[in-house]
Order: sequence, then C-alpha cells, then structure tokens
Amino acid sequence: MKTIIEFKAVDILQKTNIIFQNLNFKISSGEFIYIIGKTGSGKSSLLKSLYAELPIKKGSISVLDYDVEKLNDDNISNLRRKLGIVFQDFQLLTDRNLYDNLNFILKATGWKDKDKIDGRIKEVLDNVHLENCEEKMLYELSGGEQQRATIARALLNHPEIILADEPTGNLDPEKSEKIIALLKEINDKGTTIIVATHDYSIIKKFPSHTFVCENRSLVETSSENI
Amino acid sequence: MSFKNKIKSSSMSIVISMSLVLFVLGILGFLLLNANRLSNHVKQNIGFSVMIKEGVKEVDIMQLQKLIDSKPYSLETNWITKEDAATDLQEELGEDFIVFLGYNPLLESIDIKLKATYANPDSLLLLQKKLSKNDLIHEVFYQKDLVEKISENVRKMSVFLLSFCILLFIISFTLINNTIRLSVYSKRFLIRTMKLVGATNKFIKGPFLSDSIYNGIYSSLVAICMLLAVFQLLQNDMPDFLNIQDLKSMGIIFASIFVAGILFTWLSTFFALRKYLRIKESEIYL
Repeated sequence: MKTIIEFKAVDILQKTNIIFQNLNFKISSGEFIYIIGKTGSGKSSLLKSLYAELPIKKGSISVLDYDVEKLNDDNISNLRRKLGIVFQDFQLLTDRNLYDNLNFILKATGWKDKDKIDGRIKEVLDNVHLENCEEKMLYELSGGEQQRATIARALLNHPEIILADEPTGNLDPEKSEKIIALLKEINDKGTTIIVATHDYSIIKKFPSHTFVCENRSLVETSSENI
Repeated sequence: MSFKNKIKSSSMSIVISMSLVLFVLGILGFLLLNANRLSNHVKQNIGFSVMIKEGVKEVDIMQLQKLIDSKPYSLETNWITKEDAATDLQEELGEDFIVFLGYNPLLESIDIKLKATYANPDSLLLLQKKLSKNDLIHEVFYQKDLVEKISENVRKMSVFLLSFCILLFIISFTLINNTIRLSVYSKRFLIRTMKLVGATNKFIKGPFLSDSIYNGIYSSLVAICMLLAVFQLLQNDMPDFLNIQDLKSMGIIFASIFVAGILFTWLSTFFALRKYLRIKESEIYL
C-alpha cells in the first residue's frame, strides 16, 4: 500500500518543551491507526503537526505528497481540504444550525453549486446517521450527535485521511462505540483514519494498529498489551 | 446567521463610532481652513507706507505706484496726497495745524498692503531696503514691533492648531483602529475554524474587507450629513464666523472625510485580519 504519511527525524516542540524527538513513522493508505498515551503525552500535537497547525523544529513530514514544513498559506489550505479533521473541541459554529455549519465549510472550501452542496450535505448526514437533524441548532444536539456532526463535517470534502482527536472524549461508552464503529465504517470505504485517544476500552472493542506516545517517541504496540 | 450577516451585525456599531470620529475630524478640518483664512486676513492688513520726497511730480508718483502694483508682493496700493494726509491728521488732532504752521509739512505717500506670504518681518525688512534705494522715495515706514508681534502670534497659533490636529488625527485613527480590531477579535474563533477546515486567506478576508469599504462609505456619508447640519446651524447663528459658501473648501473637507473613512476602515481591518489569520492556538484565548 502507498505511504501517505511519513515522519523523518522529526522534533516537535510545544513552546520550549520537546514533545517528540527524532520521530520516524509511516502510515499507509487505508490504515486505521490509534495513537494513545497519557494526557499531555503529545497525541494532539502529533495530529496538529500533520495539518501544519504546529510547526516542527527539525526533520520533515510528508502528508499526501505535501512537505508540511515547507508549505505556504495557500498550500496549507489545499492540504487541509484533503484532510478531514475531527477536533477535540468540535470547532462547530454554535450560532447556526447543522445544515449551515456544513454549508459554511463547503463554501469556505470553494463549493458554489447549491444543488451539489445540498446533495453532499444530505449524503454526509446520511453517512453519520443524522439525516433528520439538518435544521437543528447545535444546542439541540446531544454530545454524541455533535461528535457525529464533526465527523460529517470532516467527511464533506471526500478526505483521503481523517484525523480524529479524542473523538469519544465527551461520550459515554455506548456512544463512544457507535462513533468508532462509524469511523471503522468510513475506513472500510478506503479512507485512512488516525484516532488519538486515551479511551483504551474502544481499542479493545475495535482492535487495530496502535502506537503509544512515550519517552518523546512513538512505539507500536498490540491491542492486547493495552 | 450566515458569515456575511454575522459580520454585518457588528457593522452598525462601527458605523456609529466611525461617523462620530470622522465628524470631529471634519470640524477640525473646517477650523484649520478657516484659521488659515483668518491668518491670511490678518496678514493682508499688514502694510507699510512709502513716503515720497518733496517736489516729486504726480506723474512720477503714479508711475511708482504702478510699478509697486506690478510687484508680486503687492496686494493693494493707495496713494495718499499731501492734502489727504493733512485732512487725516487734522481729524486726528482736532485742530488745523496748517493755519498754525503756515504750511503743510506732510509728504505724499503710497500705502502698500502685502500679500499674506510676504507679510512677515524678514520680507518687510528686505522690501524696505529695496524700496529705500529708489530716488523718489524719502523713507519706507512700517510698524516693526506690531508686525513682529502679529507674525509671532500667527505662527504660535498655527503650531498649536497643527499639533492639535495631529493629536486628534492620531486619537481618531486609534479609536477607529480599536473599534475595528475589537470587531475582528470577536470573530477570531470563526476565522480560526475557517483556517482549520482549509479556507484560503483570500476567502476569509474577502467579506471582512468588502464590508470595511461599505462601513467606510456609510460612516463618511453620516459624518458629512452631520457636518452639513452643524454648518447650517452655525451659518444661521453666526454668518460672519463661517464661510460655507466656499464650495472648494467644503469639497476638500468632504472628499477628505470620504477618502479617510474608507481608507481607515480598510487599513484597520486589513491589519487586524492579518493578525488573527496568523494567530496561534495558544494565543487565541488570551
């Protein structure tokens, strides 16, 4: 399978703290990866470095053939359009309904045709089983529904990779399982998924390649060892 | 509420604040222009007298007057004959000094009013020296102390007004800048979300910048209407104080307000956006 993410001798810093040192790491197309570790171990920083939100100190990162550390503003936008990002804090716009949240993203990423926009919104809401929630304001959605809304948003631009930062962080076990099942379903269709989480129960339930953030490095482990 | 509507909802406060600031700037501009006219008026009343030698023929005096009239410094000349000078002096003294003396000792003279740019002590001294060399002229006379005092006061007033103007200009720009920065600041999460999902800087800036131009236009128009109303009121109450018939000056002020309104809002929005487009996650909550 084709390598779509590659870290070569990367140092990642948060302000002056070294989070990762000399990180070497590859992810192939279609994989489902868990990144685990204690709070503050660098899971989110690792994901942020993938979408050029956190600049790296040393080394190089390649994502979908983009050299992340060399990107200018326009190319960062292009890269992010190819990634679906599920943010830890959702980053949904609370002043509008679900349809407008998704419509806004499509317009911001260059979609113009109203029919195509409507069609795509309907499609992604079907995918995440929120088909009847288009008109609902965000405060009318439950935590699980909001999380699925962020996944719907991540799916809008047919991403090749989905980066999910603690997608089950605010959910009860039942809803968490549903979210991971949904991500697995998306993965089965060919999208590469990277999930940063500290919810080990979901890994046991849905085992897959797992990497642990420890000692400023990323170590592969098996689901049974968790 | 759409992205554009969200921006527009905060526009009203910007338009109100900007209109008031531009209104104050307009008043100041009008004061400056009027102050300049007042200063010119005072300066153009500064003059000097050229005393003609005894026995110079009228035709020579007329030629000298014409010569002075043709000079760039001359605004207006007035030939005072011996008889006119005697009449004036008699009125001032209240008695007929010619009967007492038995003759008219006064000389013919030409009173010269200067253009404002020449009405300063240096130019007057230079002119005095130059004219004194003329064979027909007995003496060039002007009130040196008065001229120096007027010149000094006009200079002080100009410096004060200019400093006040610059200060107010800085305050105005700061106020406008802060109002707009606050407006952009309130949308920093929206900007960040757009950046994170892959919106280009151009797409993000577009609605903000086009809205800033409209805000500038609306604010300028409101400020111009307010100025017109105030000028009309002042004109009714103090017709001598203001000259609102001076269409050129009014045009300059209104055009300046219009351009400044648009330019200020656009620049402030541009720089505020630049900041929030580059802001790091750790700084966004500060």
